Amino acid sequence: MGKKKGNAADLLPSKKEKKGFGQYVLGFFLLLYTLFCGLPILLVFIAAFTDEKAISQNGFSFFPEKWSMAGINSVLRYGRQLLTSYGVTIFVTVVGTLIGLLIMSMFAYAISRPEFKLAKFLSVFLLIPMLFNGGQLSGYIIFTSYYHLKDSLLLLILPLCVSTMNVIILRTYIVNSIPSELMEAAKIDGAGEYRTFFQITLPLMKPSLAAVGFMMATAYWNDWQNAMLYITSDNKKPLQLLLVNIQKSIEFLLNNSNVPASARAAMGGTIPQYSSTMATVLVVIGPIMIVYPFFQKYFVKGLTVGSVKG
Amino acid sequence: MKAFLQNTWKHRAHVVMALPVFLVLFFIMYVPMAGLTMAFKDYDFTKGIWGSPWCELDNFKFLVASKSIFLNMTKNTIMYYVIFTAVGTFLNIVLAIAIDQFVFKRLAKAMQTIMIIPVFISYAAVQFIVYAFISTDTGILNNTFGISTRFYSTASLWPLILTIVKIWNSVGYGSVLYMSVLAGIDTELYEAAQIDGANKWKQIWHITLPALIPMITVMLLLSVGNIMRSDTGLFYQVTRNSGQLYSTTQVIDSYVLNAIFKSSNFGFTAATSFFQSVVGLLLMLLSNGLVRKIAPENALF
Repeated sequence: MGKKKGNAADLLPSKKEKKGFGQYVLGFFLLLYTLFCGLPILLVFIAAFTDEKAISQNGFSFFPEKWSMAGINSVLRYGRQLLTSYGVTIFVTVVGTLIGLLIMSMFAYAISRPEFKLAKFLSVFLLIPMLFNGGQLSGYIIFTSYYHLKDSLLLLILPLCVSTMNVIILRTYIVNSIPSELMEAAKIDGAGEYRTFFQITLPLMKPSLAAVGFMMATAYWNDWQNAMLYITSDNKKPLQLLLVNIQKSIEFLLNNSNVPASARAAMGGTIPQYSSTMATVLVVIGPIMIVYPFFQKYFVKGLTVGSVKG
Repeated sequence: MKAFLQNTWKHRAHVVMALPVFLVLFFIMYVPMAGLTMAFKDYDFTKGIWGSPWCELDNFKFLVASKSIFLNMTKNTIMYYVIFTAVGTFLNIVLAIAIDQFVFKRLAKAMQTIMIIPVFISYAAVQFIVYAFISTDTGILNNTFGISTRFYSTASLWPLILTIVKIWNSVGYGSVLYMSVLAGIDTELYEAAQIDGANKWKQIWHITLPALIPMITVMLLLSVGNIMRSDTGLFYQVTRNSGQLYSTTQVIDSYVLNAIFKSSNFGFTAATSFFQSVVGLLLMLLSNGLVRKIAPENALF
């Protein structure tokens, strides 16, 4: 591949083709696959605005008998918790992504300098975690029993903060797309290492930062596993954990037929119902779907950059 | 050595820049590696990993003794890797070529945007969407076809269901990589082929596919290193962690996750983790070695 850098967004220059019958057949199949991908998401929207009774009697449907705002309204019933969880998720996503981008690009810059002898060792140090890792269990024990970080937001941020692949993408971008003459010129003009990096290199890394940043932000936004493992207090619960908890309380009710009626009544406020559950899903996945189209071109580029190693 | 130290001191700014990532990797990735030694210990919560007494290979004996559990999750892990890789790669390529051949570019781009969205939805959310389709009483499938399949307790259906969910989730996204290769093919090749009388299919067969083969090879080989790791959310969330489905849905990663939540059987789980990490390492080295031979510029190291 190497030099032929393409952008999937603008694809091939027009091939002067006839828009023949074959094209319409092809278009039909592509449309089918698009529906396959899009309809389930559309269902979330529809179910979130469907009347609860319509679902429990006739099941989920793309053409509900009765619409209702009750689902969305009952999401607001979570009120404070939803707000808190949004806050936690946004905080973790923003802080994690920014810190990750900053420290990874500094590392990538350092190991890309040919005159820096320690770079070899650091590259190997970076690579080993990709080949071999301690696994979830020993990570869990170390983080909770030795670092005592149970129920700390640090465990939502740090594990996703640095990834070998992302550092490689950034390093590749520095090596391939930023002329080293620029850095040398800056030094001749008397700029120190830090200044060279922050004023020359970092601004030029924008496309790769956008690509990596968006991927990181998505990973943070969607992370349920670390939250489920480590977070216990309500005021630190991210959005994904809310979803997991809804699922758990459904399970609890389903699996315990001997839950007394009074207890069920007491749980009345939290018994998750179909439309309100879907409304919650909508609230959780909504922001990513709104933001994503703006970043599409960047991560397409980023993927391409990442696949071309320097 | 002295020259090396001098060089390092001279470039101490680089050392400072590399330090934060170094520390994060050390504490988050490297220390847990040492924790793997608990596979050889009789783990006692009060004594910690390092304080617990050694028990030689006892944990691994459990592993062998529990044949069915261990074999089942290893079998599932590998089975899903094979299915997902085969089906996924094939569909990635078909979709990439299809979008590439489609002349209504604007429309193609709009459709592609929708195809990629699912990859950004967490499995914690996906499982509710799947539930809407396959729940027994309210699911769209059962209602549309007037049947009453109990999906969440019928293990034999899940390889199919999980494959469909995985396709939905990742094919649109996976094809992007191949499309970037297609975009790099010189259009003159197609024009020349057209003049020589090659039809569309022949052009795809003789120009497009050969151009994709290096990328396909590299992606396949690199994926070999991840056989032992699974998309945990798919197996834990989408199946609703239903015990009745374990025979076809329990993979190593979801087993370990369950063990942590139930805080049971740590010895057994540690042995499983150890097995997973070591086999993963060997496969990684193998796959990278192969890539090095075939396409050195794509090797990881």
